[in-house]
Amino acid sequence: MKNSVQREGLEALDAVDTAALPEAARPIKPGLRINVRGRSVNLRGMRKPPKGILLWFAVLGPGLIATSAGNDAGGIATYSQAGAKFGYQLIWVMVILTVSFGVVQEMCARLGAATGRGLLDLIRERFGIGWALFAVVVILVANGGVTVSEFVGIGAAMELLGVSKYIAVPLGAVFIWYLVIFGSYARVEKFLLLMTLVFFAYPIAAIMAKPDWSAVARGAFIPTLNSDPAYLFLVVGLLGTTITPYIQIFQQSSLVEKGVARRHYGTERIDAYFGAVFSNLMSISMIIATAATLYVVGQREIASAADAARALEPVVGSAARVLFGIGLLGATLLAGAVLPLATAYAVSEAFGMPKGVNLDFRRGRVFFSLFTALIVLGVVLALIPGIPVMKLLVGVQVLNGLLLPIILVFILLLINDKSLTKELKNTRLNNAMGIGTLLLITTAVLVMIGGQLIEWLGQK
Amino acid sequence: MVMLSQLLRFRIVDEHGAQAKLSDLSVALLDADHPPVTCLYFVAAQRQKCSIRWEKVRAVDWGNGVIKVDDLGAADVESDQSMAKAVLLAAGILDAMVLDLQNRRTTRANDLLLEEHEGKLLLRAADTGLGAIARRLTRGRFGPVLESALYDWTYVEFLRGDPRAVRSEEGEHLRITRLPAGEIARLTDGLPYLHAAELITLLPDPKAADTLETMGPARQLQVFEELDEVQALRLLELMAPDIAADLLGRLHPLTMRRYVEHLSRKQAERIIELLRYAEHTVGGIMTNDLVYVCGDLTIAAARDKLRVPLRNPDFVYFVYVVDDEESRGLRGAISIRDLLTAPDEKKLEEIMDPYLITLHPLEAADQGAHRVLDSHLAALPVVDDDKQLLGVVTIDAAVAQVAPRSWTAQVPRIFS
Repeated sequence: MKNSVQREGLEALDAVDTAALPEAARPIKPGLRINVRGRSVNLRGMRKPPKGILLWFAVLGPGLIATSAGNDAGGIATYSQAGAKFGYQLIWVMVILTVSFGVVQEMCARLGAATGRGLLDLIRERFGIGWALFAVVVILVANGGVTVSEFVGIGAAMELLGVSKYIAVPLGAVFIWYLVIFGSYARVEKFLLLMTLVFFAYPIAAIMAKPDWSAVARGAFIPTLNSDPAYLFLVVGLLGTTITPYIQIFQQSSLVEKGVARRHYGTERIDAYFGAVFSNLMSISMIIATAATLYVVGQREIASAADAARALEPVVGSAARVLFGIGLLGATLLAGAVLPLATAYAVSEAFGMPKGVNLDFRRGRVFFSLFTALIVLGVVLALIPGIPVMKLLVGVQVLNGLLLPIILVFILLLINDKSLTKELKNTRLNNAMGIGTLLLITTAVLVMIGGQLIEWLGQK
Repeated sequence: MVMLSQLLRFRIVDEHGAQAKLSDLSVALLDADHPPVTCLYFVAAQRQKCSIRWEKVRAVDWGNGVIKVDDLGAADVESDQSMAKAVLLAAGILDAMVLDLQNRRTTRANDLLLEEHEGKLLLRAADTGLGAIARRLTRGRFGPVLESALYDWTYVEFLRGDPRAVRSEEGEHLRITRLPAGEIARLTDGLPYLHAAELITLLPDPKAADTLETMGPARQLQVFEELDEVQALRLLELMAPDIAADLLGRLHPLTMRRYVEHLSRKQAERIIELLRYAEHTVGGIMTNDLVYVCGDLTIAAARDKLRVPLRNPDFVYFVYVVDDEESRGLRGAISIRDLLTAPDEKKLEEIMDPYLITLHPLEAADQGAHRVLDSHLAALPVVDDDKQLLGVVTIDAAVAQVAPRSWTAQVPRIFS
């Protein structure tokens, strides 16, 4: 931009006194803008500015949203399982993942700012319809799985609160469906977010349970390998639940929706890393809290939500079940609404299906059926009698871990396409870390698949 | 009639029996409502990209998928740069985002329909249906063409998503310019901001300025910053000073200063004047692009004198009567209706409405806006302590200021 004004055609006209000009750029004031041109009145606006406690949320930005989205039923189950089964041993995975997660999140944010388009859009435009369809299938499988796990989570949470899941899950589904389609979702969302604040009890629990801090430090910085196939299974689960394909799509689209342009890309970088550190600290505290309460007393398997809730006992005592239930309900309802919504939106956008320009996106047929189908699928699978809840939750995260490398390859290819990202292209360091993450995840996935195969063959 | 997905399986065969597979086609996008195919592209030996002009085609055997040309060896060799300049059907338009003007929405070109007409191959329509996707995935074996999913190319705008893309042709075939500016702005809401900026560069300046004015503030800033500085300056010159000032106020101060210094004196002074007031004051929501005239003129003389000043401002319903044009001491207001219907020989002072509620520029914006709404007038004038007319707060600015914030939550946001 510099000096370019001095080009031809831009000679200064009469000199004007610019001393009265303001010294700092004004922020865009959220609010409504109406233009009366002739008789037409256009309403266009932005979300209302947050106040009070919500301002605090806003300051933390997408970081906290990513955290809340990440700490859904599957996340809690996987972290609890990791803590209960292997104590502090798996924390090192989370330490490495914090860096990887930050790098990947930042790349997605950058891709969103540089192109103004979502991930599936870019895949469609750059690699054609075949790859786009492939990516859509990957996303549908991954997100469909997570949606199921959210409804399982709703059932588990309500059972902790004393309601049968056969009543709670269909009710929850109808509630979510109605909210999104008939639209007071934005208001309820904040309430649900508040419910998830319960999970801030985890860091407190992690400290109050008086863990063996030297063991925690060893677990965090000395990688251990364990021949137990469950160990690798959980490593991939941790990968899948931390760097969910869904969060990548969400991150990129949120930058697009917020209207961050490439010239203003900057603070989002910090936001992405901050979000990664913040959310992983939460996850690590879940592992520590569970390890310090369950692992040490020899309870190595978490079979139900009630077991997982016991990790909160050092803080809230006998109220642990109820509080955990409330937090889990908030988190799962939130994710149960956002996931099908975002998936249906991203997919119909990539296919150019009608979703309207503004308010009428809900009327799009593809959008509507996808959204409804995802919810119905979630409810039906979550209500299969005798389903092993925790195993299913962790299994879905492992599935996400399996699909993650595919999405990562797309992200890396797109972010290195100079015609797309221009000056926001990956640096060598970015690429080294991105490819490192990809290799790490791919290796873990391959070793896990290999291990499972050997085990399966051994059984035969 | 042929679909692009079928066409891309055609072979190009020459007199000597040499053949190559058709890989892409280019069109002269803005030449006509239905752009004609200009070149055929194929990959020759050693992966060399080559093109052959459509005029060189001797015949097309549609049934067997064969395009006959004189000599494949005479084809032009294409470089990456020359390929980047061409508008390619498969590499560029297929799968890209297009604006469908008839349904007023963005969609994607899943397939393209071409038709031979008087020796030319024309791009007729974009197929946006699921059938087109099925057709491409099954290599043409399945995938019916649905009439309802076909969008006539006349009403389709294709954007590349690069505001700096060089366009050799004039954009006179852009149908979108015929829509009202507000509607164009609304349509671009569904586009990525780079596409929106490209569209602005293609519109004629007055339309582009109007469109930029009607965009939401965030989108406006995104688009503006992608524009070439020369064009950005031209648009700033044409925009209403209040909106231009709002926009400039959000730029980096150095950038803002550079723009202001290169604007015409009149526009620059107006903008500087407006930027002096904080956003939460009446001065921050007023516009100073208004029409005023001396009170001692007769109606006929005033009409004559105002012919030029009335041409540009957005707000013209009231003409303000001042004691002289230098000091601009406010004396009253007269509506355009009165100006047109009053007898020629009457003086302005005699028919003007002398009583005026006025606002002070440093008054709180909310309070001022409420007073505009309560007055049920199209605008209230803003005067300083010396009764000098500074500007007006129009009804639209007032509504924007006080509209219940809950309205703003109606816009669905999914990801943030």
